Amino acid sequence: MRTRNTGLMARGFIAAVGIGVVATFAMAAPASAKPATKAATECIDKLQNGGSIDDCQKAPSPLKPENNEIIWGSISFLVLLVAMWKFGVPAVKNMEKAREDRIRNDLESAERAKAEGEAALAQYQAQIGDARNEGARIIDEARQSADGVRRELIARAEEEAAQLRARAADELRLQIDRATADLRQQVAAMSVELAGKIVERSLDASTQQQLIESYINSVGSN
Amino acid sequence: MNAFLAIDVPPISQVTIWGNGPGGFNKTAAIYVFAAVATLLLFVLGTRRKDALVPAGLLQNTAESGVAFVRNQIIMQTMGPDGLQYLPYLTTLFFFIFFSNITEIIPGVQFPANARFAMPMTLALATWVIFNVVGVVKQGPIHYLKNSLIPPGVPKFLLILVIPIELISTFLVRPFSLMVRLFANMLAGHLILVTFATISAALFAKSITVVIMPFSFFLLVAMTGFEILVSFLQAFIFTILTAVYIGSAMHPDH
Repeated sequence: MRTRNTGLMARGFIAAVGIGVVATFAMAAPASAKPATKAATECIDKLQNGGSIDDCQKAPSPLKPENNEIIWGSISFLVLLVAMWKFGVPAVKNMEKAREDRIRNDLESAERAKAEGEAALAQYQAQIGDARNEGARIIDEARQSADGVRRELIARAEEEAAQLRARAADELRLQIDRATADLRQQVAAMSVELAGKIVERSLDASTQQQLIESYINSVGSN
Repeated sequence: MNAFLAIDVPPISQVTIWGNGPGGFNKTAAIYVFAAVATLLLFVLGTRRKDALVPAGLLQNTAESGVAFVRNQIIMQTMGPDGLQYLPYLTTLFFFIFFSNITEIIPGVQFPANARFAMPMTLALATWVIFNVVGVVKQGPIHYLKNSLIPPGVPKFLLILVIPIELISTFLVRPFSLMVRLFANMLAGHLILVTFATISAALFAKSITVVIMPFSFFLLVAMTGFEILVSFLQAFIFTILTAVYIGSAMHPDH
């Protein structure tokens, strides 16, 4: 309890001293009849020198800010600049470099892709050309082959026809021979029979044969 | 404030209104000229190596990254591929606003031109004209007005409330909020930097208060860094809202 009271008293003392210090500074302002601010002083000077109230509204210089502002603003700007130089600029440079690298890589990969595309296109075109040539060759071969087959078939058909014709001629000749032989036998038999009936005498075999042949010859010549 | 520690903070008008030069040309106008020239130079110098596909150097990387940022993070997110025709306008808008904002931390300049509302208002009006013209051209005047004023699915008896609200919201609040957002953010940032610089100076001048000066100075440095972010962010917000408005005029269904 006592400790708490001591603490409270200490805090009260510090607060009182603080208020006293601030009040001292507050009272330290010169209590004179002079205008309170620099701006007011300058305004009074301007009015006394024939200026208007509008002149008091404007900044004292048309371009330059107040000296305090220039000095402290510049110092803070420099502090910030140093901090930016130390931390900001490397970050910006890194970003810049990363961006350049990314764009360079993108461009290179685009260039590579383009070259690959062109190579692939050339390859495809070459393949298409080869395929076209191959197709033409195959068609040519097929045509030649078809011509060969056609010629071969025609030759074979002609050969078979010739064979058929030869066979038919042989057959015909055989038939004729056979018919001739049959005819000859029949004519011989009929002649013998006819001769026997006519002559009514028997002939020996050789005479018969001679008669037959002479008869046939006479028939053949007729 | 004035009596306490005798901090002599200049009036707001004195850190925002600059004396006119010849023909009314003043510091604000000079910053806009700088912003226009810087935007132009960035893209002229950054793209002069037309045959170089691989970017090299800060300018080319910044120009290309800037265009890619506006295309991917703004147009494609809000308008889709149809919006790519607005890429030049939106990229210019983004860099112009950024360059006219960032001057608030440049020593000796220390003023964001957009802390005066002439240019934010002009740019907001340009956006207003563009999205209305796009809406009328793409949808026809009757459909555009109907789609702008009557949200789908609203019961008929509520239309008497909804139509005036939509009218104000679409045709008045949009350009006004665009202007005020940019102008007020930059003005506030500028005043904060001026205030902390003034406080740092006042504290540094007093023998004992110098002890707490580092805190004020640390805040000044932090706010300077923060204002770089704000400069970028405000340019981004203005551009993306412009894209959203044009996109909604192009595609009323979305």
